[in-house]
Amino acid sequence: MLEEVTSHVKIPVLYWENSLGRSRSCDIVLPDPNISRDHAVLMRRESGWIITDTGSKSGTLVNHRKISQPRILKPGDVITMGSTSLALKRAGHTAARAKKQGVARKIPRPSGLLLLVTLSQLLLGVQACLAQNSFSIYGLLPFAFLTLLEWTAFLVSSKGFHRVSFEVETIGFLLSGIGLSLLYTISPQDALVQATAMTAGVVLYFCLISFMNDPDRVMQWRLFIEIGAAVLFAVNLVFGVASHGAQNWISLGPITVQPSEFIKIAFIFAGAATLDKLQTKKNLTEFLIFSGVCIGSLIVMRDFGTACIFFVTFLIIAFMRSGSIRTIFLVCAGAVFGLFIILRFRPYVMDRFAAWGHVWQYADTSGYQQTRTLTYAASGGLFGIGLGDGYLKNVFAASSDLVFGVLWEELGLILSLLVVVAIMLFIFYARSDVTRSRSTFYSISACAAAGMLLFQTCLNIFGPTDILPLTGVTLPFISAGGSSMLAVWGLLAFLKASDERTYAVAG
Amino acid sequence: MKTTGTRSLVLWILAGGFLVGLALLLYGYVFHGGDWAIQPYNGHLVGGGQLGYAGQVLDRNGVVLAYSQDGERFYNDDQTVRQACLHAVGDTDGFISTGVQTQFRTQLSGYNFFTGLFSPTGEASGHNVTLTLDSNLQKIALEKFNGKRGAAILYNYKSGEILCMVSTPTFDPAAPPSDIDSNPQYEGVYLNRVLSSTYTPGSIFKIVTTAAALDSISGLDTRQFECNGSIIVNNSKITCLSKHGNITMQDGLAKSCNIVFAELAMELGAEKMTDMAQRMGFGQSFEIDGIPTAASFYDVSKANDNELGWSGIGQYTDMVNPCHMVILMGAIANGGTPVIPYYVQSVTGAFGFPFYRGHPSWGSELVDETLAGKLEALLRYNVTSDYGDDMFPGMNVCAKTGTAEVGGGKQPNGWIIGYSANDATPYAFAVVVEEGNYGISSAGRIASALMAAAAG
Repeated sequence: MLEEVTSHVKIPVLYWENSLGRSRSCDIVLPDPNISRDHAVLMRRESGWIITDTGSKSGTLVNHRKISQPRILKPGDVITMGSTSLALKRAGHTAARAKKQGVARKIPRPSGLLLLVTLSQLLLGVQACLAQNSFSIYGLLPFAFLTLLEWTAFLVSSKGFHRVSFEVETIGFLLSGIGLSLLYTISPQDALVQATAMTAGVVLYFCLISFMNDPDRVMQWRLFIEIGAAVLFAVNLVFGVASHGAQNWISLGPITVQPSEFIKIAFIFAGAATLDKLQTKKNLTEFLIFSGVCIGSLIVMRDFGTACIFFVTFLIIAFMRSGSIRTIFLVCAGAVFGLFIILRFRPYVMDRFAAWGHVWQYADTSGYQQTRTLTYAASGGLFGIGLGDGYLKNVFAASSDLVFGVLWEELGLILSLLVVVAIMLFIFYARSDVTRSRSTFYSISACAAAGMLLFQTCLNIFGPTDILPLTGVTLPFISAGGSSMLAVWGLLAFLKASDERTYAVAG
Repeated sequence: MKTTGTRSLVLWILAGGFLVGLALLLYGYVFHGGDWAIQPYNGHLVGGGQLGYAGQVLDRNGVVLAYSQDGERFYNDDQTVRQACLHAVGDTDGFISTGVQTQFRTQLSGYNFFTGLFSPTGEASGHNVTLTLDSNLQKIALEKFNGKRGAAILYNYKSGEILCMVSTPTFDPAAPPSDIDSNPQYEGVYLNRVLSSTYTPGSIFKIVTTAAALDSISGLDTRQFECNGSIIVNNSKITCLSKHGNITMQDGLAKSCNIVFAELAMELGAEKMTDMAQRMGFGQSFEIDGIPTAASFYDVSKANDNELGWSGIGQYTDMVNPCHMVILMGAIANGGTPVIPYYVQSVTGAFGFPFYRGHPSWGSELVDETLAGKLEALLRYNVTSDYGDDMFPGMNVCAKTGTAEVGGGKQPNGWIIGYSANDATPYAFAVVVEEGNYGISSAGRIASALMAAAAG
C-alpha cells in the first residue's frame, strides 16, 4: 500500500497493475493539478513492485531522482509526482486476512470434477462400442486415450507446476472428449489425427502458459510474433492450396495445416498489452495495421468466416484497450464501406450467401448443407439417435462445419446445448478474472480469447441452421481439424493465464 | 485495471447475441422441427416420410381406418366407411388439406419433439393416430345422406369429442375416381364442409333473433304477433310459408313463422341484431385440432328494413358454418359456454407411448347463462310441440330446423341443429342437406338416426 508522505493518508493498492494519475478512471486517483491524467503505472512483478512513468509532463521521481526506465521499488521508497509524494509500505495483516476470508468459498476438488468428465467419456465409449447395431470393443479407444491424456495433464499441472486449479482444462477435456468420441464413429483415421493434435494442443497449452509467465517478455516478443504471423499469411497466400472455395491450407509433406488457426493466437498476442504499454502507446495504429493485414489476407483467401472472427476479436481488443466508442464506430463504418466496395466489384461473393433465409427453396443446391443439418438435427430430438447411427455425417464437411448438426442428431439437443453453453461460460470465466489477473495483458487476452471462441461458436452453429449465412468455420473443441484443435487449446492458455492462481506457487 | 474491467462488459453484447441466436434456433425447432425432419431424403424415415410408410389412423373403437404396408397406403375394407371418413382421415395425395393424414403428417411419420425420429425398436416407424370418430356413425350418416351433398357433425358437448363428422360429396380414397376434376358430381369434393364451408342458415338463424329479442324486449311471453302469410316492407314482400294468424314468439319459433322474426329483427334494429350475432360467434373462427373453421357471416350494415327483416329469418346475406352451429348448440347445452370440439384422440408411438392426447378446452362464452336457460326451454318446446319427441325418443332433445332458400332454381337447403339435454347422452348435432328441401324431413332424419346410434 501507499502512504501520502505529508498527510499520512493510506491509499490501498488493489490490483497487480495500477494506473496513477489525475484522471478519475485511474486506479489510484491523485487530485493534483501538476500530475498528468495518466501519469505512471505501478506494477507487481516477480522482482517486486515496479514504477513506470507513462509519458507524463512533469516526470516521476523515486527518492527525488527522476526515472527514465521502469524502476524496482523497495519498501519505504518515496515516489514523487507533481507536488504529491507517496511512500511504499507493506500492507497490514488485517487487510490480507480479510481478503483471504473473501475467497474462502467451498469449491469442488479439481480431481473430482475430472473424474466426472472421465466417467462421461466412459459412457460415450460404451455407446460407441454399441454403435450401428454391432458390438466392437474398439469403441473404447477414444476413452482410453482421453483418460491417459487428461490424467497425465492433471498430474503435470498439480504436481509438476503446483497449480491448484484445473477448471479450464477440465472443460477443455470434456468438450474435446465429446468431439473426439463423435469423430471416432465417423472416421477413425480422422480421430487419430484429432487425438494427435489434441496432445500437441495440450503441450502447446502448457508451453504458452510458461511463456506468458512474464508479461514484459511477451511485450518484447510481440513484434516478432506479428512479423511471424504476417510471413505465415504471405506463405499461405503464395503456396496455399484452395480447398472448397477458400485458399487457406498449406501442405507440408504428409500433413496440411491451416495457418489462419495459429494466427488467431498471434493475433491476441499482438492485441493485448500490459498497462504501462497501454498508457504510453495510446493509439491503436500498430494493432490496426496488423489487423488490417490479417483480415485482408483472409478476404483474399476467401475465408470470410475466419475474417469475421478476426474482426470481432479486433473490436473486443480495440474497445478494451481504448474504451472509445467513437473508434469502434469508425472502424465498423470502415468495415461496412469495405464490404460495400467488395460487393460492388466482386458481386459473385454474394452468391455464396444467396440461400440464406431461403434454404428450403434451394434444398438440393446452395441450401443442401443447411437443410440436411436442420432435418437431421430435428431427427435427433432432445436425446439423440445414438452415437454412430446418424446420417448427417455422410454430408460434405459434416465433421467440421456441420458438426453441431451431427452432435445434435447423434447425442441430442440437450448435450449440444451443454457444449455451446460451456463455451459461453468461458466468457464468465474471463470476466470474473478481469481485474484480478496479474496484468491487463492477461485480462485483455483472456477476454479476447473467450470472445473469439464464442463468436466462432456462433458462426458454426447458426450458419448451418440458417440463422446466419453459412461461412464454414469450425466449432471449437468439437470439429474435426488438427490446426483448429491445436489453436483452441492455445486460446485456452490465455484464459488460464488470466487466473492469478495459475502462477502462484503453492505453499 | 479498473477501466479494463469495466470495458470487458463489452463481452455481454456478444453473449447476448449468442443467446438471441440460440433462442431463434430453439423457437424454430419447437415450432418447425417436424417440418425440418419430415423430408423425403431423411434416412431415418423409411420411405422418406411418405404415407406409404406412416402409422395407422384408427377410430375411437380401434377400427383401422388407414394403414400402410410395403410402401402402400391402405384404407378400411368397407367402401362406405372409407368414403364417410375421407374428410377426417384425408387422402393419400394430400389434396384434402384438413385431413389428419395432412395435418398430423409429421406424427404419422413417427416424429415427435422429444425424441425426434429415434425409435427404441431400432427402426423408425410411424406413430398411430386415434380419432374420436365412430366409424359406425360415420357410415350411418353417409348412408342417410343418400347421395345428397351436405355436412353432418355430432359431438359430445361435455368432453368435446367429435363422434361423427361427415362431408359429402366424397370419394373412395382407395380408388380415387379418374374424372374427379372434370365431373361436376365431385365439385368441391376436397372440402370438409363441416369445417370449411358456410351455408345460408334459413330458420335456424331465428335462434339468434330470439336471443336478441329475449335480451332487450320485455313481455314476449304473452305478446301476440299476427301472421297473414306476408307483410310488405319497403314495397317488397316478406313471406311466410303459412298463415299462422295470432301467434306468440314461442309458437312462432316452433312453427317457424317468418313474420314473427322478421318483425322482431326490424324492431330490434341492425345494431342489436349484429351485437347478438357477434356475441354468439358470428365472424369468429374456431380451431378444431389446429384447423380454423370458416367464420359465420352476419352483416346488416347496408340493409334496408326489408332486408333486415329477411336477415332475422336467416336469409339476406346470412351464412353459417356447420361446426359453429354445433358449438353454439353445445354452448346453450352447457349454460352458455361451449367445449371446443376435437377429433384427434391421441398420437401413440412404439409400445403405445402417448405423445399427444386430445383434451377438452373451454371456448369463450357465447350466450349468458339465463339466456341459455330460456333458449333451452324454447328449443325443447320446438321438439315437443311440433317436430315430435319420437324423433329422438327419451333423449330430451332441444332443436331447431331450417329450410334455407338459396335461389338459382335450386331446392332449399334443409337444416337441423340441436342437442340432447340428458346427462347420459350429452350430444349436440348440426346437419345440413343441400337441396334437401324441408329441414325436418331431410336433415332431421339424419340427426335422428345419428342420435339413436350414438345413444346406443
